[in-house]
Amino acid sequence: MKKISVKHILIHIIILIAVVITTYPLIRIFSVSIRPGDRIISTDLSLIPDGASFISYIKLFKETHFIKWIFNSLLITLATSFIGVTLASTAAYAFSRFNFLGKKSGLSLLLLTQMIPAGMLILPLYLMIMKLNLINTYLGMIIAYSVSSLPFSIWILKGYYDTIPKSLEEAAKVDGANDISAFYKIILPLSTPALSIAFLFNFTTAWNEYLVARVVLYHPANYTWTLGLFELQGQFITQWGMFAAGSIIITIPVLVIFLYSSKWLISGLTLGSVKG
Amino acid sequence: MDYISTTGEVLFFIIAVIFSVLIIEIYLYLHFKLYDKKYYFIISLLSFISFYLIIRAINIYNPKVLTFAIIWEVLFSYLCVYKVKGKNYIPYMLVSPAFIGLALLLMYPFIFEVYLSFTDLKLTTIMKWKQTGMLPFVGLKQYINVFRLPPLSETTFWQLFVRTVVWTFSNVFFHILGGFILALMLIEINKFKGIYRTFLVIPWAMPQVVAVLSLRGEFHSEYGFVNLMIKKLLSIFPFLSNLGISPVNWLSDHPLLTCTLINIWLGIPFMMVVILGGLQSISKSYYDAASIDGATYFQKLKYITLPLIKPVILPAVTLGTIWTFNNINVIYLVTGQAGGTERADILVSALYKAAFVYNRYSYSAAFAMIIFVILFLITTLYSKTIKVEQ
Repeated sequence: MKKISVKHILIHIIILIAVVITTYPLIRIFSVSIRPGDRIISTDLSLIPDGASFISYIKLFKETHFIKWIFNSLLITLATSFIGVTLASTAAYAFSRFNFLGKKSGLSLLLLTQMIPAGMLILPLYLMIMKLNLINTYLGMIIAYSVSSLPFSIWILKGYYDTIPKSLEEAAKVDGANDISAFYKIILPLSTPALSIAFLFNFTTAWNEYLVARVVLYHPANYTWTLGLFELQGQFITQWGMFAAGSIIITIPVLVIFLYSSKWLISGLTLGSVKG
Repeated sequence: MDYISTTGEVLFFIIAVIFSVLIIEIYLYLHFKLYDKKYYFIISLLSFISFYLIIRAINIYNPKVLTFAIIWEVLFSYLCVYKVKGKNYIPYMLVSPAFIGLALLLMYPFIFEVYLSFTDLKLTTIMKWKQTGMLPFVGLKQYINVFRLPPLSETTFWQLFVRTVVWTFSNVFFHILGGFILALMLIEINKFKGIYRTFLVIPWAMPQVVAVLSLRGEFHSEYGFVNLMIKKLLSIFPFLSNLGISPVNWLSDHPLLTCTLINIWLGIPFMMVVILGGLQSISKSYYDAASIDGATYFQKLKYITLPLIKPVILPAVTLGTIWTFNNINVIYLVTGQAGGTERADILVSALYKAAFVYNRYSYSAAFAMIIFVILFLITTLYSKTIKVEQ
């Protein structure tokens, strides 16, 4: 039996306080979301309020475009991730397997693009979208998002391809495959983990994006969920209950996916940087 | 103008993207493969004509695009025939769709912004620009204006700059400090480590918009959790009010402090995870050897832990600095609503507001270029110090 030292108890207590600080806001949104309709704004601090009800959730679905917002976000996000990952997977393969003129400058160009602050490009993208008459459409959003994660995805995928031995493709070529079929019959299936990381990265970036959506979309039926929640919280304080309900519905799946994939994500981050 | 987008548009767009990638690939393949044929010039001519028809069809035709296309076609044909000669062309075919995308949606906007910063585009001239595409050239006027006129209604550039430095420094400092302390404690214990870690990363895992907006609610002066807690403490320990502790109008009186507190809460978990990874890679034998020599806990911390996790912390500090410097989200979400204050704005959030609240497009393009230069200097300085340290 190990002795329980005072030090360890102290550490546990401090960490528990930290855990309370990190989780409390989430718990509190939940408790606000199940408050009964007449006491949504109150100074009540109890976690499960008296007369708890799901009235805010019902109101959220009935009175706002909430389902449409989630659908819009999903559609935009899936389209951008699909385009981003597809383009990145082939480009990364070229950087990993071939020697060609301009390879080094291409790679450093990718790094340079990461130096451009994201907030800086919103204005020219907005003006371009306006000129193309795509304000207030999904297309405007997809165009603005689709390449923003591309450099990072290429780096991650390149790092992963580098770990796959070249002999696999050479063996395939002996059996009569050419460069392209060796890529999509052998390399692509093997790199599912890295592709998922890149997809997840693209997905979360676009899913949580707010600033571009703010200027591109202005009709409530075209909003993404980030805009919708901002409007709910921004206009009238009376919609606090609906805001909380919406937040809970959005956050729970995101949390589950994140916690499930966090090990992957972190290893992916280091993979890209170490191998680079 | 109540236009509602449809799913069909998106499907159409994806098909269009796939189609254009195919066209690009065919174009490149024909050029690379048939370089030694006698009819090579016909391929060039044909692809040029089809390009002309396409830009006519999607209505982006103008003489500049056409000249550019002619120059490109000549140069590219020359390269194919005399340089590439059908060898090792596959990587170019693999890379080109991604780089064309980057060129159109990342480089071009950047160059366009540089151009914009030398012109005069504002709310009164934007309709004219949309119809004719012409912009008056004003030279360096916008750059001088950035320093002469306040980017927002009253906050000047230098005020914003100082605020940005304070904001970045305090945030990164507390991120590292908090993350380091938590990681040091987590590595000491064996029980419940995984569970604690899971709960501690929640601020990082939550969608940022949800986290910031709900915390903003908690700082509400009457119904927010923070003030309620202060009131409760005061009712239990009345003597605290003598020390100057009382409920505060967080959002209206101390907006920057509120933003900083929210951002510290958001940023600690990432640093904790990064530092924890670094700590776990340090071999236990160093500590055992030090214990035999009678080293105290803080001596071990100073001479073993800190030097060994430096390679992990330095890049994290660089990244953290860039992210915090560029953080529009937190500040805009807290103060960006109608009637919001500008006393919490840093450079980047002021840039966003100057462009989209005050609609001064060229002005904010010049402002953006100045911010870009500042950030570029910081990053190069950082990476140089890191290289020297290593």
